[in-house]
Amino acid sequence: MLNYIIRRSLQIPMVLFVLSLIIVGLMQLLTPQQRAAAFVKSDKQIEHLDQIIKKYHLDEGFLVQYELWAREVLRGNLGFSRISKEPVTTTIRKRLPASMELALSAFIPIVLVGVWLGTIAATHRDGILDQALRVVAIIGWSLPTFVMAIWLVAWVYGGLGWFGIGRLPNSMLIDLATGHFHRYTGMYTLDGLLNGRWDVFFQALKRLVLPATALVIVVSAGIMRVMRSSMLDELGKDYVRTARAKGLMQKAVIYKHAWRNALIPVITMAGPMLGRMIGGIVVIELIFNFPGLGEWAAKAALQLDMTTLLAFVMLIGLIMASANLLVDIAYVIVDPRIRYE
Amino acid sequence: MKKHLLKILALSLVGTLAFAATGPDTYVQMTYGEVDSLDPAQAYDTASGAVLENIYETLYTYKGESITEYEPVLATSYKISDDGKTYTYKLRHDVLFHSGNRMTCRDVEYSIKRLLVTNPGDSAGWFFAESLIGYDGVNAKDYFGDKITQADKDKYWAAIDNSVKCLDDYTVQFHLIKKDPSFFVKMMYTAGSVLDSKYAIANGEWSGTKKDWFSWAGKDLRSGFLHNHDAGTGAYQLVKWDGKDVYAKRFIGYWDFAHKAQMENIIIKVVDEQATRIQALKAGDADRITVNDRATLETQIRGMANAKVLESDKWLGAGARAVFFNQKIAAKDNKLIGSGKLDGKGIPADFFKDVNVRKAFAYSFNQDAIIKDLYLGKAVPLTMALPPSFLGYDPNIPIYNLDPDKAEAFFKKAYGGKLWDTGFSMTIVYNTGNTIRKAVAEILKENIEALNPKFKISVKAMPWPQFLAAYKNGQLPALVLGWGADYADPDNFIYVFYHSNGYYAKKIGYSNPQMDKLIEEARSITDPKKRAALYSKIGYLAHDDVPVLPLPRPTGWMVLAKNVYTKGAPAGMDVYNNPMRSGSFLWKDIIKK
Repeated sequence: MLNYIIRRSLQIPMVLFVLSLIIVGLMQLLTPQQRAAAFVKSDKQIEHLDQIIKKYHLDEGFLVQYELWAREVLRGNLGFSRISKEPVTTTIRKRLPASMELALSAFIPIVLVGVWLGTIAATHRDGILDQALRVVAIIGWSLPTFVMAIWLVAWVYGGLGWFGIGRLPNSMLIDLATGHFHRYTGMYTLDGLLNGRWDVFFQALKRLVLPATALVIVVSAGIMRVMRSSMLDELGKDYVRTARAKGLMQKAVIYKHAWRNALIPVITMAGPMLGRMIGGIVVIELIFNFPGLGEWAAKAALQLDMTTLLAFVMLIGLIMASANLLVDIAYVIVDPRIRYE
Repeated sequence: MKKHLLKILALSLVGTLAFAATGPDTYVQMTYGEVDSLDPAQAYDTASGAVLENIYETLYTYKGESITEYEPVLATSYKISDDGKTYTYKLRHDVLFHSGNRMTCRDVEYSIKRLLVTNPGDSAGWFFAESLIGYDGVNAKDYFGDKITQADKDKYWAAIDNSVKCLDDYTVQFHLIKKDPSFFVKMMYTAGSVLDSKYAIANGEWSGTKKDWFSWAGKDLRSGFLHNHDAGTGAYQLVKWDGKDVYAKRFIGYWDFAHKAQMENIIIKVVDEQATRIQALKAGDADRITVNDRATLETQIRGMANAKVLESDKWLGAGARAVFFNQKIAAKDNKLIGSGKLDGKGIPADFFKDVNVRKAFAYSFNQDAIIKDLYLGKAVPLTMALPPSFLGYDPNIPIYNLDPDKAEAFFKKAYGGKLWDTGFSMTIVYNTGNTIRKAVAEILKENIEALNPKFKISVKAMPWPQFLAAYKNGQLPALVLGWGADYADPDNFIYVFYHSNGYYAKKIGYSNPQMDKLIEEARSITDPKKRAALYSKIGYLAHDDVPVLPLPRPTGWMVLAKNVYTKGAPAGMDVYNNPMRSGSFLWKDIIKK
């Protein structure tokens, strides 16, 4: 097992290398002028196009551009982000915790709700409950995230004045910016607890409710469908029939035997999903004014900020590879029959 | 018990106060424009300016809403020499920087020299350099390029060193290379802010001496200390800028005790999604929000219980937009001008050189349609490419508006009648998503094609990078461009739009010696009355010559929480709005009732 983990970990740098080649290569498909155009914001600056091309070596070939970037990266310098106007590493240090906080606070309920409803649907196969859940799933499945998000912002926040947007209330942000508040993790809920600041913890938690709800409604439908069909699969298998024949109670059959096996497809799906969520949920971040990685990367893509894009892709590559590794480990825990040599 | 705990948790999460206000001493603005840099020598955009004008100060500034009346800030008085080339300012003795250092003439000298030394290409340094050292307003590295010699360097440094001198601790003198009536207002731009030289130098900024000046020439200051640190004297000091949101607090050591700011905290939040900004205003979490378009303003904001929409016909901003007729279109590989000849299948590269063509186009343009459709009736046509609040704007100059008979007459006169017989074909391009460029192109197409079946205009959308490249290469036959004021002097517009050497006029190959002479005369005298008369003449000449066709200017609006006002608001208004201030008004003037 340990061997396997080490072997898999060694693949990660290779993945990152290939990813970086792809991004730099893709940028070469645009002309230097087109790439420089992304720097120009007003009619006045158009004349600076040539200066910009020279300054950022935009007219150099693939190898030179890649070398310029790689040399800095090997020195530990990921570069300066035009989007956040600060070094890329500074931005990641600020925004990754925000994204993780949002992703985790939505991920756990998504999985719990999805698995729970999926199990209910499977055990009540074709009954009224199953039918009703199927309808709910289809609605959730087909609802665009932004519709749900705008609706929650307009109705719950704007209309009722509940919960709030952003990561913390304005007054608290000033308080934290001026006072002594140690940022251990960058996640306000955790840091609130670690600093003994219950007010910060509650306020941060309060502001996670709406974005997490939007995500739970939209995303857990998928988990539910997978859980239902995999559970039905398992319930039809011989060992379940045997268990039933032995006279085991329905509860024991489902939760002791079938459930764990049915979870495997859910884990396969949930790992990369968490990775993607940490990578940023652009729409949610934009609408709830939650400054995470997604919004940053989306802007970088629109403005062709290669430094930011490269750093972002590297980071996501790392997260996704780690998520896959975690999924593989989780398989072993759920199903002891699985062994890695 | 468990159930009770859950209930308590749920209730506290929802919050007992349904509508939390931002608080009586905190002002929260939500907008979409991100600050580019907080270094006054680098920033050249409104979002940065709106912060800088509150944490830094200049020697003089605009008074209230006026752009022609000024008041002293860090100076107490000023004097211009008879030859108009020496400006002497007396400084205040009681000014403290946010660091606690006391401001002296050395700080003023350092700030302006630093601006001239660094002068990065994408900053406002060029117009300071133009007045003080020349060199086309360009920094030493970009001006000389790789071939720079030691002698060039020495000469350039000497020019900087001579441009500003301290006569004593509280008297500073600027030496201009030639007479420039706009220098005084140029100094009011945020780039003319006074920096805490000791604090800046101690933190690794330029030393202020000849020793390391050249290594700072043309440097991108976004990687420097002052990019995100504050070395100002303003009524507010920067608490934090995280690359996105800005937090500032009232400066307790502010020199102007009489002018105590009411707001303790200022927060400028970047909220990209307009719907979210609107909901935040509704929920009481924002005091001012940016609303992008009039349609949203009318349908969603008006009538909102705790918000107000402020607007005025006078709020026309400090900018101008015009349709440019390119008189020297780049013909090489240019599909936009078809055959490149006057044969009915294209247009020649100098198509717009004939004034009759320009006039025919101008009379084919429907200003009323733009005002009605694009701005829902809330816009004012411009007589010349100059904001109406500026010195020399003449409202009596006639305006071109749709007149098919006149358009036809001029088309028939063009090219000795040949154009009318052979017809032409061209493409007008707009960048995807730009509604103004699109509307202008479509209006011209519709009205011109209706005159003669042989006239063909296609309208095409291009993504921004391609559009920009086409513009840069001079391939666009006609296009819309805008200019925002850097400083409140008519020369900032007139020279750019109409002088053969001006930024835009040069680009479209417009040149009229008579026009050049008038513009040069107006920029070399200081008497406002005489200058206004000259600018009016220029306006009439520009009307006859139509190098560009000025577009209507939409009236501005502001969306605020109901309880927000400013000191110094004109009678009948809740706030003042100075077009030269990036944030319309200063934070220190905000009051909540």
